[in-house]
Amino acid sequence: MIFSFLFKKSAASYLEVELRSKGTRFAEMALKQVSSNKCFEGFQKVFEHDSTELKCRMRFGIYLPPKADTRKCPVLYWLSGLTCTEQNFITKAGHQQAAAEHGLIVVAPDTSPRGCNIEGEDESWDFGTGASFYVNATEESWKTNYRMYSYITEELPQLVNSNFPADPERMSIFGHSMGGHGALICALKNPGKYKSVSAFAPICNPTQCPWGRKAFSGYLGLDQTKWEPYDATLLAKSYSGSQLDILIDQGKDDQFLAAGQLLPDNFIAACTERKIPVVFRLQQGYDHSYFFISTFINDHIKHHAKYLNA
Amino acid sequence: MSSSPTATTETETTSNNPDKVSAGDLDQSKDETTSGLDEDPEGLKFYHMDLYESKERLDIFPDVQVTEKKGHGVTAEVPEQSGEKDQLEYSSQKEIDELARLYGLEEDKEIVEDFRVEQTPLPGVSDKGETFIQKYNVEHKKIKPQQSVENREQEYGTKIFQDTMQEHDDVSSNSHFDEEAVNNATNRENQRIDTDSKLDKNDSTQSEPTTQHQKEEIADIYCVTCETPIRAFEKLFGIHKEHEVTELSNVIQDVKEEIHNNMCKLEEQIAQLENLAIHLEEIFISVEENVVRQEQNFEIRYNEVMQALTQRYEEKLQTLGEEKREKLESLYDQLVASGKKLDSSRELMESIQELLKSKEKVEFIKTAVNTADRVEEFFKTDTELEISINPEYENKTIDFSDVQQLMDSISAVPAPSAPIVNPQSPNSATGTSVRVCWSPFSEDTVECYQLYYKPVSDDPPTEQQTEFMMKVKETYCTVYNLILNTQYEFWVTALNTTGISPASERAVYVTAPSPPIIKPKDCRSCETAALVRWESGNMNPVDSYTVELCKVSTEDHESDITESIVGIPTCESLIQLDPREKYHIYVRAVNVGGVSERSKPITIHTTGTFFHLNEETAHPLLSILEDGFTIACQEEESLLDFSYHYNSFTRCIAVMGNLIPVKGKHYWEVDTDENVEYRIGVAFEDTNRNGVFGTNNTSWCMRHIVTPSRHKYEFLHCGSTPDVWITIPPRKIGILLDYEKWKLSFFNMDLLQHLYTFSCHFQHLVHPIFALEKPGVLRIRNGVGVPKCLSFF
Repeated sequence: MIFSFLFKKSAASYLEVELRSKGTRFAEMALKQVSSNKCFEGFQKVFEHDSTELKCRMRFGIYLPPKADTRKCPVLYWLSGLTCTEQNFITKAGHQQAAAEHGLIVVAPDTSPRGCNIEGEDESWDFGTGASFYVNATEESWKTNYRMYSYITEELPQLVNSNFPADPERMSIFGHSMGGHGALICALKNPGKYKSVSAFAPICNPTQCPWGRKAFSGYLGLDQTKWEPYDATLLAKSYSGSQLDILIDQGKDDQFLAAGQLLPDNFIAACTERKIPVVFRLQQGYDHSYFFISTFINDHIKHHAKYLNA
Repeated sequence: MSSSPTATTETETTSNNPDKVSAGDLDQSKDETTSGLDEDPEGLKFYHMDLYESKERLDIFPDVQVTEKKGHGVTAEVPEQSGEKDQLEYSSQKEIDELARLYGLEEDKEIVEDFRVEQTPLPGVSDKGETFIQKYNVEHKKIKPQQSVENREQEYGTKIFQDTMQEHDDVSSNSHFDEEAVNNATNRENQRIDTDSKLDKNDSTQSEPTTQHQKEEIADIYCVTCETPIRAFEKLFGIHKEHEVTELSNVIQDVKEEIHNNMCKLEEQIAQLENLAIHLEEIFISVEENVVRQEQNFEIRYNEVMQALTQRYEEKLQTLGEEKREKLESLYDQLVASGKKLDSSRELMESIQELLKSKEKVEFIKTAVNTADRVEEFFKTDTELEISINPEYENKTIDFSDVQQLMDSISAVPAPSAPIVNPQSPNSATGTSVRVCWSPFSEDTVECYQLYYKPVSDDPPTEQQTEFMMKVKETYCTVYNLILNTQYEFWVTALNTTGISPASERAVYVTAPSPPIIKPKDCRSCETAALVRWESGNMNPVDSYTVELCKVSTEDHESDITESIVGIPTCESLIQLDPREKYHIYVRAVNVGGVSERSKPITIHTTGTFFHLNEETAHPLLSILEDGFTIACQEEESLLDFSYHYNSFTRCIAVMGNLIPVKGKHYWEVDTDENVEYRIGVAFEDTNRNGVFGTNNTSWCMRHIVTPSRHKYEFLHCGSTPDVWITIPPRKIGILLDYEKWKLSFFNMDLLQHLYTFSCHFQHLVHPIFALEKPGVLRIRNGVGVPKCLSFF
């Protein structure tokens, strides 16, 4: 009892000191707590900060499991799909119980920079705000703010690791739809960085689907060779790195599967060829919604916990 | 108020504190009644009249008390006085106790106590207006109380004295005596009774100073000459002037002591006499018994002797008669013979006389010669004149030696009766020996026993069956060199100088069984338990089995700590074990006689779940290789030729594993090749032998099929499978069966990749199944621990 109390205290003061020191050294990294709710003995919080990569104010949700009171916990990053904010996942997916059980910190960032006043950013739901596709944009109007890939893989982990009781050595990533695409490319582009990866109905082959082609041409230009480093299927074909265990759930009644936006078969074929372990589960009757996600979220948390807590 | 103020202080007390005085008086007089010293019994009678007087009357005195107190300042005296009075009561109580103890009147004591309690309220109420009583009381106090007080104070410690004094003080200072006070008094009384026992232990010397103080004031003495108590002044002025006197208290004490001593002696004597009486009674009874027994014995014995004598008499008579007859017969014969001879000699005489009478000479000569020849001839025949028969009865002596012996035997030890062989006591036998015990018939004198035994057999008894005999001095014997788990009959005869007893009833003893034989192929285990099966190893049935477990340390040392499970009726046992240990398990058979040797051990590792394949269930096309865990399927031949075991799978080329019936967590692995087509999983033990795994609700399996485009994996139950794509064909499949979580999970163990999990509530126990759909090989690995990383599933 006493020990855990002390730990709590020290963790709190550690957090405080860290915050203060960061605050002085990197003023732009100062965190502001937006909300905090107790959930399964831990806390579901939302923070706001000024992003250096994105040059805008960004929010992210973070679930701190009860274990985080006493020790450093692994971090699992969640990337949401098109049109989402940090709120969708933390309110709908119901991941907190499993995360509390396995002692995982779950970080759910926003899906794109916001309020950057870029022309056309709010014109369509599948491009611009809420549709960053987790790439580092190279096109002129986007390249300043739309650096979500770097934000997800660099800035955000740094921020989390330095402000929360997070173990920087243990992180994994997963996501849904566009976020599934983001999770897969983050893992495939950075062998060893993520212990494991999983996805719900990911956009597996964006260079071959309407959403991807629109976004990539917008952010990266028309040179398709510049798209390749952001296509999971293409990345898988050339992947050679540390072993990666990929779990993918796909609703069979997903309208976007039928619409050819997701193309998981291409990814599986690539992985089979490259001997990348994938378990792909085509779930009878499920669609693309968060109802589908919440049904299988526990399986995914377990999948990551197996590697993160190994 | 006081009429005869001999001791001023006393009087003052009385007048100042009427309540108290009366209390003291009451106690005193009661004391006297109970202790039986000289006193006026009237005292008691009158008190009862005053019980629970009206309040008006109670209120008479308090005024006086208060004023007097102020005037004289004798309050210091009061408590002491009251204390003394109080102690009178203790004394009385003590004496009552003592008497009760002495005479065993425990019940009476209660009565006395009740009596005392009843009286306690009296102090406050007693002598209002009753001048007579008061007078009497005061009078008495002058003489008796002081004596008593001295006694008491010698007997009881000042400590108690002070305590009680205080108590009394409280009550006495309460001028308005009412019912509450009555209650108090009652309570106090109860307390006193409690403290009585303490009082007994008090040392008399403690109260010495107080006693001294009292002596100076008043002293009563005892005239030794007249043997009567007298007043002190009488020694100086009265008839006792010249007499030897001593202190009354001393005399009383002496007398009491003497009485007490006498009483103790008497008590001892009574006890001794009582014991003696009991003892005598016992002896009386045993004498009677013994006499009766002896009478019976004599009756039997003398009857025997009488019978023997009668018999002898008859025998003798008979022989005598025969002798007589013989003798008479021979005499008669002799008589007849001699008669004949007489006749013939007479005839001769007559013929000679005839001859002499004849005149003719020639005739005479002729006849004379002829007659002379006849006479000569006659004389030649021997005439037997001696009597061959002795008229006397020759054998005069009668042989009484046997009768004498019989007579002697009456006073000698009787021959023993048949002993009784005890039933076999448990654990008294080994495989080759039994310990037989028996008891002689009571009171027999036995010099030794003869123990006979032979094996019991159902065959009709033949001459060849050998009986064995041993001579034993003791009433027990261990018989060796017997056959395992065999019944033997034992019977015993007892011997002494007089003779040999009849044989006892036959008792059957059994030798311990031979050790069972563990069947290693039928044994299974998991992390928390082992199922061990064995063969009896005995022709005859045994009662039960005992399993012994020894933990084996890492250095292969068997620990001494052996756990035993006893009373197992069947040839199998499910044994709870600790996880991740190594055990040696032994079995012993037990019957009435004892416990067999240990069986050969079986080694159990509780690192994981271990099972064997049930060969009975194997499809004819499926072969289990020598290691017992590799199964192979040959090229299909004509199925018609095969003979199926009744329990074997007939549709799937499959075999079932014998999983331990423990609903815990079980894990095993299957090594295979990428292109082998198989169904592996679990099924209920009674799953349809003619069914296909996964198509019914009694089996769950993972199926691998090679299609032209890909490796297809199905996770089948009730014929349906989820759509799961696996990019890397697993070569080492881990199967985790978890009854607690109701889950069956499959893993690619090379990657530690989770493939699929069935969630189902297994109603019954399930067993592993392995089926090959095409020629190929599956290698089963079990007895391995659950990999830690699988604990999430």
